[in-house]
Amino acid sequence: MSSSGSWPEPSGERQWRSIEEREGSAELRAALEREFPAGAAELSDGIDRRSFIQLLGASLAASAVGACTSAPAERILPYTRQPVGLTPGNPLHFATALSLGGRATGVLATSWEGRPTKLEGNPLHPSSQGSSGVFEQAALLQLYDPQRARLVKQRGTPRAWKTFLLDASLRLSASAKKDQGAGLRFLLEPNASPFVADFRTRMAQAYRNARFYGYDPLADDNGPRGVQLAFGQPSDVQWDFSKADVVVSLDGDFLQPPGPHLRHARAFSQRREPARLNRLYSIESTLTITGMMADHRLRLRPSEIQLFALELVQELVQQPGLSSLSGVSQASGQLARSEHLKWVKAVASDLARHRGRSIVIAGPSQPPIVHGLAHAINAVLGNLGQTLQLIRPVAGVESGVASLSALADEIKQGAVEMLVITARNPVYSAPADLDFGKRVASVPDSIYHGLYEDETWEKVQWGIPAAHPLETWSDARAHDGTVSIVQPLIAPLFNGIPEVELLASFLGVIDKSAHQILREFWIEHGPAAAFEQRWERWLADGFIANTASPSVQAALRPDSLISAIRDWVKEQQGQVRSTPDTLEVNFVGDYKVYDGRFANNAWLQELPNPITKVTWDNAALISPATARRLGLERDDVVLLQYRGRQIEAPVYVLPGHADDTVSLPLGYGRSGAESVARGVGFNAFALRHSAAPWFDRGLIVKKLSRKHKLAVTHDHWAMEGRDLAIQYAVERFEKEPNALEQLRGPTETLYNPVNFDREQYKWAMAIDLSRCIGCSACVVACQAENNIPVVGKVNVLKSREMHWLRIDRYFSGTLEDPAVITQPVACVHCEKAPCEYVCPVNATVHSDEGLNEMVYNRCVGTRYCSNNCPYKVRRFNYLHYTQNKPKSERMLMNPDVTVRARGVMEKCTYCVQRIERARIQSRIEGRAIRDGELTTACQQACPAQAITFGSLNDANSAVARLHRDQRRYDLLHELGTLPRTAYLARVKNPNPELA
Amino acid sequence: MQPAASADPLDPLPLIAGRQDSDSLTRIIFTPVWEKTRRGWWFLFLLGLAGTGLLTAAITVTFKEGIGSWGNNMPVAWAFGITDFVWWIGIGHAGTLISAILLLFQQKWRNSINRFAETMTLFAVMCAGMFPVLHLGRPWFAYWLVPYPNRMTIWPQFKSALPWDVVAVSTYFTVSLLFWYVGLVPDFASLRDASYSRLKRIVYGIFALGWRGSSRQWHHHKIAYLLLGGLATPLVVSVHTIVSFDFAISQLPGWHTTLFPPYFVAGAIFSGFAMVLTLIIPARRILGLEEIITLKHIDNMNKVVLATSMMVGYGYLMETFIGWYSADKYELFSVANRMFGPFAYMFWLLILCNVLAPQVFWSRKIRTNVVATWIVSILVNVGMWSERFVIVVVSLHRDFLPSSWAMYKPTWVDFGLLFGTISFFGTLFLLFLRFLPAISATETKELYKELSEEHAEATAA
Amino acid sequence: MSALFPRSSNTVFRVVVLVLLATPLIALGTLYAYSYSPFYTGQYSQIQQVVQFDHRHHVWDDGIDCRYCHQSVERSPSAGLPSTSVCMGCHEQIWNKSPLLDEVRARYFTDRAIPWSRVHRLPYFVYFNHSIHVNKGVGCVTCHGRVDRMAHVEQVAPLTMGWCVDCHRDPESQLRPVEEVTSMTWAPSGDRPQLAHELMKKNDVHTRISCTTCHR
Repeated sequence: MSSSGSWPEPSGERQWRSIEEREGSAELRAALEREFPAGAAELSDGIDRRSFIQLLGASLAASAVGACTSAPAERILPYTRQPVGLTPGNPLHFATALSLGGRATGVLATSWEGRPTKLEGNPLHPSSQGSSGVFEQAALLQLYDPQRARLVKQRGTPRAWKTFLLDASLRLSASAKKDQGAGLRFLLEPNASPFVADFRTRMAQAYRNARFYGYDPLADDNGPRGVQLAFGQPSDVQWDFSKADVVVSLDGDFLQPPGPHLRHARAFSQRREPARLNRLYSIESTLTITGMMADHRLRLRPSEIQLFALELVQELVQQPGLSSLSGVSQASGQLARSEHLKWVKAVASDLARHRGRSIVIAGPSQPPIVHGLAHAINAVLGNLGQTLQLIRPVAGVESGVASLSALADEIKQGAVEMLVITARNPVYSAPADLDFGKRVASVPDSIYHGLYEDETWEKVQWGIPAAHPLETWSDARAHDGTVSIVQPLIAPLFNGIPEVELLASFLGVIDKSAHQILREFWIEHGPAAAFEQRWERWLADGFIANTASPSVQAALRPDSLISAIRDWVKEQQGQVRSTPDTLEVNFVGDYKVYDGRFANNAWLQELPNPITKVTWDNAALISPATARRLGLERDDVVLLQYRGRQIEAPVYVLPGHADDTVSLPLGYGRSGAESVARGVGFNAFALRHSAAPWFDRGLIVKKLSRKHKLAVTHDHWAMEGRDLAIQYAVERFEKEPNALEQLRGPTETLYNPVNFDREQYKWAMAIDLSRCIGCSACVVACQAENNIPVVGKVNVLKSREMHWLRIDRYFSGTLEDPAVITQPVACVHCEKAPCEYVCPVNATVHSDEGLNEMVYNRCVGTRYCSNNCPYKVRRFNYLHYTQNKPKSERMLMNPDVTVRARGVMEKCTYCVQRIERARIQSRIEGRAIRDGELTTACQQACPAQAITFGSLNDANSAVARLHRDQRRYDLLHELGTLPRTAYLARVKNPNPELA
Repeated sequence: MQPAASADPLDPLPLIAGRQDSDSLTRIIFTPVWEKTRRGWWFLFLLGLAGTGLLTAAITVTFKEGIGSWGNNMPVAWAFGITDFVWWIGIGHAGTLISAILLLFQQKWRNSINRFAETMTLFAVMCAGMFPVLHLGRPWFAYWLVPYPNRMTIWPQFKSALPWDVVAVSTYFTVSLLFWYVGLVPDFASLRDASYSRLKRIVYGIFALGWRGSSRQWHHHKIAYLLLGGLATPLVVSVHTIVSFDFAISQLPGWHTTLFPPYFVAGAIFSGFAMVLTLIIPARRILGLEEIITLKHIDNMNKVVLATSMMVGYGYLMETFIGWYSADKYELFSVANRMFGPFAYMFWLLILCNVLAPQVFWSRKIRTNVVATWIVSILVNVGMWSERFVIVVVSLHRDFLPSSWAMYKPTWVDFGLLFGTISFFGTLFLLFLRFLPAISATETKELYKELSEEHAEATAA
Repeated sequence: MSALFPRSSNTVFRVVVLVLLATPLIALGTLYAYSYSPFYTGQYSQIQQVVQFDHRHHVWDDGIDCRYCHQSVERSPSAGLPSTSVCMGCHEQIWNKSPLLDEVRARYFTDRAIPWSRVHRLPYFVYFNHSIHVNKGVGCVTCHGRVDRMAHVEQVAPLTMGWCVDCHRDPESQLRPVEEVTSMTWAPSGDRPQLAHELMKKNDVHTRISCTTCHR
């Protein structure tokens, strides 16, 4: 084994432990208080079972018959007429699309005799390229969520859909006669659907004075304005990170939604291999997924980032051939030289060295000027048409906070008589100052088309249960404009009404199904010839080929940018710098619930936050220094006061967070009818102000005596100097290529090892830490594929979470600017597995192909295997997590995987159900399983392609190649367990100038 | 006739005190059985029943809810359950040791305490025996640990130590039971003959197996007793050795230790003697057995306690040394974590109770001071429990990957099982004291005879 | 005082002891035997179906191939039960007045499924796959018996794990030419060991006994 410290401390930085320890202050007492909270008794299941069930009612897996084989007589109900193409016992796959932030991601749905059980990315779709994120994966649970709205309701009393149609049409015709619908307003969920676009034009004809607004609390409306500033013309931007050697991100978390994050992740991760390693500078305030990948990360308060951008411009002007920026740089005048000048210089020269091969990207939360500056820099560096394309805007209604406040004003003036809301729960997600709930309630005739009886539903006259995207026909456009036809996988489970039908009803179409309406729309918008074939083709592909928005040519026209900067400089003179007792507030979208629309999704609620590893909560994120100054530590509840409003929130001290700034994740603290979401976390929207929706000064933090225990799945942050998740500078890697030699290969043993080379397959996995961005899509994918139960906060607090695949996250270096690394860990399928020989009943054994098999029905639950597993990847069903489950959610279960009952151990199986299906198929066809034919759920989801699976006995297989890679090492190699899952060390590309 | 007391000038503490004869001995030993039930007994008995009720409740919850009703988690998959199991098994060691080994070594002082020890052993093993079953996720499949040809054509995994446990513990229980019963037979007979109520005489009579005390019966009895003693002796070593394998065969830092078998056996005897003392000191006082269970016995037992305490202490020392000597960062960390981690208080508690407290027994004054002895014996019981806790929980809660580290917090069910089994144990013991002679009358009388003969020789010479 | 125990009590005592020792042994033995018996495995039990479908008539008399109704047996884990339309395919023409088929017609025209009772039931944690067995030359009759001779289909094999594993450990004797899988009467001819050996090669049979072959 490698004696400690010999190799490799990530770039020589020294490890430290959780903050409590680093601080040294009475670490143990702190620990004890943390681990033995007052009134802990209420956490005991024996007592708290009922509320436990209540909490989980919405997401327990199908109940399983104990283990007795003699069950009551069983019925078989064959079809009366079997659908064509359906084979009982074999799943079918359909292509459709899911929209987020108004842009579609293509997915393939697996359907068993008509019930969808799994979603995967559509390999042909530009926004997916075969991978999927947490939201795509978790959409299924939402589909089957028994708490979805089920009835059309008028002020709470059930009504028939027809009644609504009648009622609405009467009023409509009235208002149409009166004043062409002057009082008619639509608040739409942002989407680029051609049908909706057409609907709007036709409505405009029918009701001249009707108006449309859109709202998505996380919508990026600064971006387009920035483009306008820089190029004087509207257009969308398509980034190509695969071509960029240098990426500078100005608070631009481009690896998370609503952008085309899957495509970005794919392209970006391709450039993280030593051969073609890019360099990422991330300038951001809170630690983001992008920040975790950065080679250099600069913590700035959100308000300082614009300053940084200006300084960057001023530096770039110094560089030869970039004088065309001088106008812009002069506009900002003489800037106060900041402490990070060295940084600016380094970035500037690096950019100048990589003209046409670099990207400067700004985030939605940054003001238009920053976007403008970014584009200006890209333009002068000649990146236009190289690493980024301007394309004709993919149509859609403006849907930022501005548009919502405009609507709010209209309502206040009483201009609105009829309000139709298809936006997701705006009453909840509106900035507090708009008091949107009151506004909506004041509208005489309001209609809400929603999935849940949520906060908005309570305020409207008419609540219309929405059909889930997987239940309905519609169309949508991808980030690059490619059109997809959205087709249903299943008839509406809870009488949901398709959006298409609702909208069409306003044009008097009340007797047609969404299917008919949509087909007719597409028939008239396209060559009539051979429509059927084309339609079938669209549905089969999941998108309509060659419908991407054409790219547009544009040159830098900085005048408006310059004037904008001048104005900004003027107003800066008046401003006062933030004083220590008022901090900066920073609103961020959440990695798990987006804007709160996924808050009732227990998969996502229990998913550890990729950064903080917090489940079932959100927390006010602050930097260690600020925490020290304010005398705060994790779980302390603080009072946050801002612009006359105040909320209470638990604190999470996050290393690498900007000082004097508090980041508040949106989307929690829901108060709707959804019991999973209700009361989880705090509602940051209650503090959000329409004047400064993203960040602002003037936040006051007061410590309260209370504590709120956060359920954190990964408490200990340091690697204790152990060679676990390895990352180091690329130079070092080139200098000593065999440095990892002692962390791989066979170890000393007294027994002669089993030889697996004679078998047909030798299953193995490789995980490339250089590629892994830690987005956790794999975790949810695994949960969906393998029927993994949710255990709820009570049990996560007892560290009983059931995820087969977890993502470890370690910090190293300094507390202020730590190096971060993420490492997915599931069962590594040791060839010499410690778990196997200690099981008294042979419930976990080794297969001839090297799988470490877990046989649930043989397990008696001694849990010895887990004790002896050095990777602690085994999960035990401490309670009967899978009983008491709503019918609708039994439909969600993957029929190829046993649903585990109480008292048995479980763990990653390398998706053996997929292996066996592939094997049987190949054996019937008399061939071998091809490399790449077989993917595990995590591998299939991973947008960064960090996970590879296959057989080592095929020397040319992808996984075999990776196992021979110089960066390959085995986790806990010194134990001689010979894991089949190999890790590839992460390489970093630091800029020597910043060393 | 001279009292057996001060038979040996070098050893002033007598094995039987006072001026005795066969009748007086019989009276002393059988009075507790004959006399009317005392109020104190009822009080304690009801107390015990209450505790047993708690036990029943805890067991019910465990079966109904699953192990989830305990505090166990990942990574701490074993906790109170196994701790209690090992603790009880350990306590169950004194009996066999005293009966068997001391019998083979012909230690005179065993006679008046062996019944106590054996009975305690039986009850302790009963308590211990519950845990392996309670502890299973699916207890209704416990029989899968037993090798038998089945429709699945699967055998248990013999590489694992757990199936051995089943065999070892059950064997141990059976042999101890037989040993105990064979020893009881003559006393049952005397109870039968001496009882007044017909019912008692019938009941005792049945258990006396028609014992008449004929020399032939004595002859067989002696042989059988010796044979069982021979059988039991290896068990003293084997049982706890195998229990220690539950840990030793794993690769977990803090468990993976070749030292475990001897060190567990020593620990077992240690705790066993401590428990005997805890029970015997009040008993001899209340039941007026001081003349038969004399300070001599307590003195001897204290010596054993001291010796085993030193062995256990050596065990701790070695664990620490090996942790350092191995130069294995995981071993090293687990040692450090025991001493300074969040559960450090448990470690220092066990050092205090198991290593420091017994040191007072170097002084004869304290060895023969019942109060002091009693306190120390209780400390040792506590200490041994916390030792098992440290081994089981503290090793598990922080192992190889820091990402999976977690804390452990017991629930009321965990405590219910611990104190429930203790009450159950106590209840059984009270019944024993009430209905059976706590001391083997026959053996005591023999001993008395031997002693007075020795004395006669001594005086003759 | 009178003797506490009469002479006979010795005998009584011995008998009692004997009984006490014997009872658990006998109980266990019985339980053990029961677990192998048809009572437990459910072999040969007559199961009532809503429709009196007679395999003797359809298979033996009419010689209809198994796959005509159990269509997915070669492509899917489940052999598949015929959709009612398959029944009606013939019975719209023949026996279309037969009272025996009232139930079928009723359910067909009202689009209600026929609730067949399962005869061969495996535990929920067992994943049996028909297609691979059929494609490797394991005949229907091998596990399901002479269905063509059954008025009521009954389970003839114990369907215990041991029974499965026996064949997976030594499949040779159970194989037949793939084209003969649905034959109820095929019997090996000539040098049986030789033939079995050839079939292993010809059908390219590699049985697996890893747990995950059936338990996932």
